Amino acid sequence: MTLRGTIVFSIGVLAALGAGWAGFPRVIYQTHRQPVDFSHQIHADKAGSKCDDCHAFRADGTFAGVPTLDKCSGCHAAAMGSTVAEKNFIERFVTPQREPEWLVYARQPENVYFSHITHVKRANLKCERCHGNQGTSNTLPPFQQDRISGYSRDIWGHAGRPAMTMDACVACHRQSHLEHSCLDCHK
Amino acid sequence: MTNSRRDIFKFAGGAVAGALFTPAPWRLITDTALWSENWPGIPRPARGEIRAKFTNCALCPAGCAVRARCVGEQPVSLAGVHGGLCPFGLTGHHLPYHPARLKQGPIEEAKAAVRKRAPDGIAILDLNPGRTVSWTYRRAMASLQGLYLAPESQPVAYDLSAAKTVLSIGAPLLDGWGTPANVNAARQNFRLIQAEAVESRTAVLADEWIPLAPGTERAFAQEILGALQGERTSVVARELTADGSSFVLGDAPEIPEINRLLGAYGKIIVAPSEAPVPEPWKKSAAAITRLADVPDHSIGVLLIDESNAASYIPWHFIEPKLTGDNPLVVTFAATRGGYARHAQYALPIAVYPELTDDIAPAVDSIHPTFRISVPLVAPVVTPPAGLANPADFVGALAGVPASNALRERADAIHKSAEGAIVTYADGKETPVKDLTADAFWKSLNQGARWDRPPGLSSLVPAASRSTLRPAEPIESSADLPLIAIREPHNPALVSPLMTKLYQESGLRLAPNRVALNPDDARAAHVPNGARAVLQTRIGRCSVEVTVDPAVPPGAVQVGGSPGIQDVCGPAARVKVVPA
Ligand code: SF4
Repeated sequence: MTLRGTIVFSIGVLAALGAGWAGFPRVIYQTHRQPVDFSHQIHADKAGSKCDDCHAFRADGTFAGVPTLDKCSGCHAAAMGSTVAEKNFIERFVTPQREPEWLVYARQPENVYFSHITHVKRANLKCERCHGNQGTSNTLPPFQQDRISGYSRDIWGHAGRPAMTMDACVACHRQSHLEHSCLDCHK
Repeated sequence: MTNSRRDIFKFAGGAVAGALFTPAPWRLITDTALWSENWPGIPRPARGEIRAKFTNCALCPAGCAVRARCVGEQPVSLAGVHGGLCPFGLTGHHLPYHPARLKQGPIEEAKAAVRKRAPDGIAILDLNPGRTVSWTYRRAMASLQGLYLAPESQPVAYDLSAAKTVLSIGAPLLDGWGTPANVNAARQNFRLIQAEAVESRTAVLADEWIPLAPGTERAFAQEILGALQGERTSVVARELTADGSSFVLGDAPEIPEINRLLGAYGKIIVAPSEAPVPEPWKKSAAAITRLADVPDHSIGVLLIDESNAASYIPWHFIEPKLTGDNPLVVTFAATRGGYARHAQYALPIAVYPELTDDIAPAVDSIHPTFRISVPLVAPVVTPPAGLANPADFVGALAGVPASNALRERADAIHKSAEGAIVTYADGKETPVKDLTADAFWKSLNQGARWDRPPGLSSLVPAASRSTLRPAEPIESSADLPLIAIREPHNPALVSPLMTKLYQESGLRLAPNRVALNPDDARAAHVPNGARAVLQTRIGRCSVEVTVDPAVPPGAVQVGGSPGIQDVCGPAARVKVVPA
């Protein structure tokens, strides 16, 4: 290739790299804000809450997931502090009894069966193993929704980062010699 | 500087090469796969809160307790509560969406036709007797002076836990015979001898398999009977009498007498005791009649309830009972595969888990029990097509109110103040006397189960009785060279997923298939997978062929589809010819 050809080719490579790394994520992901400016850190430090105080198991063993307004309004029927976030939360949700529409980063496809109780109580996994340091964060990260698949960008991790991809599940099961069959998760 | 076409290609080439080092193409590949999950036509449960609901599987009288994982209102997976579910039950939540489901039928027209003819020799055939709706049918038939028909007039129950040796002559004891959890729990305590021509799933798990020559099951039973009567000697008979607590299962007509000689009646084989029933119902109910006891040409209007049928009575046993003069047959069915082929009116019914029905006691349940199969989904077939409610239909003919029957029955049980209710959500057992009638009813509607302890049940020794149907005469024929071995009865609707799994794995013979030994298949010129015709003295039926070296020569294992059963009883002589 001539020098001129090499330059033109390289410009093509650079343009694609730029578009792929900088432009593509802006196009493919739509950013939403969570309905409430929630701080896990404040709840853990000031109220001494543990993960399962709010993300609890029901009596029948099912996982309640993100708490409903009832749970929040148990403490926040009236303001407990002086933060703007709490004031907004009470005005927008507690007083009108409106359930916040939380955006769930960990949402899995319909064909996946996952039992929290098996992983937490039987395998003794810590919440952080899959959810990362969410429990100590001061703010909730923006919810970046893939425009095509509809899932959150956050669950698509890679090695070394908390991830709830099928690869990550398989790797962990393989490591623990618990990789039995596809039907373990796809029931 | 001017750009040539060559520059554009070079730029594009560079861009393609560069793009491979960005997340874009890889992300798009994954996204496309995920997007394909959302194509129209792919069932997608609604998003919602994940909860557990409890019900009881109505697909067979075992009535296993079910814990359904629901997303919003939609069950997405079923699991057993005590002891697991069989594969049919595990996939039960697929059934309302089954492509072969009967979705419409002329309900009003059928009603008018029956009204016009009734009570002219009216009868109802209940293929899942022992439910509350069965009492509605009996009351309606008493009022119309009709007949209430059931496969057995005096059913029995087996207390497997009291048995030390069980001889099963071809019965699928470990393959859907009773309640899987009960049978598995009792299994460690008895020795199982399985006598049959093929090494069935029960034979594989038995302590001893006695391979019989195809069609000699009855002769084997006669041999045992002869030995018990002291006419000859038999090692198996000696084994049965040795421990003093054994019984024999199977279809041969000699078996009741064998069990009587073994002293099994009253000890292992007992009269099933039923959950309490409102007194007025008992006073106004027709007797249970066996089809075999009905005079020929006496039924002018036959109603058939096929919902979750526990058995299938071949049409050639029913047809002679109908009047020759234009009999009217109305069937309440989930598919067109059963009696709908012979009926003037086939009316669609709700299927598990969208129906509300109680579950008849299982054959291995020796104490009274009451559980309701609580709907997990709203009926998938909705008006204008609509579903028929057999209880309302039959009740309306005779002016017997049917809509509140389950509640009336629950109140009668509550009034008895006996037994306790087990609620699965919290695993608690509460004595009935500690509950109000409303609380008892509410628990039942949340999938709870009422039991009366065995100590209170009436273990009445049952008399020796004949089997469901007279055994078919053993035919001998050179033109029909093979002997049929029938697979156990399957539910009418089976999840397509199950069908795929068992057909691919070869674990279970599909209902419309026959399995032949390779030598017999070669002689009949039917290769594996070919379509063929199964011919018997009664008729012909189209089947698909599986060639299986595990089938003994001279036999053909036949699937349990109603079409096959209509032409072919157990031990019938048959021929398989290319289609
Ligand atoms: S054994 Fe019967 S009741 Fe139990 S899960 Fe299977 S089909 Fe349902």
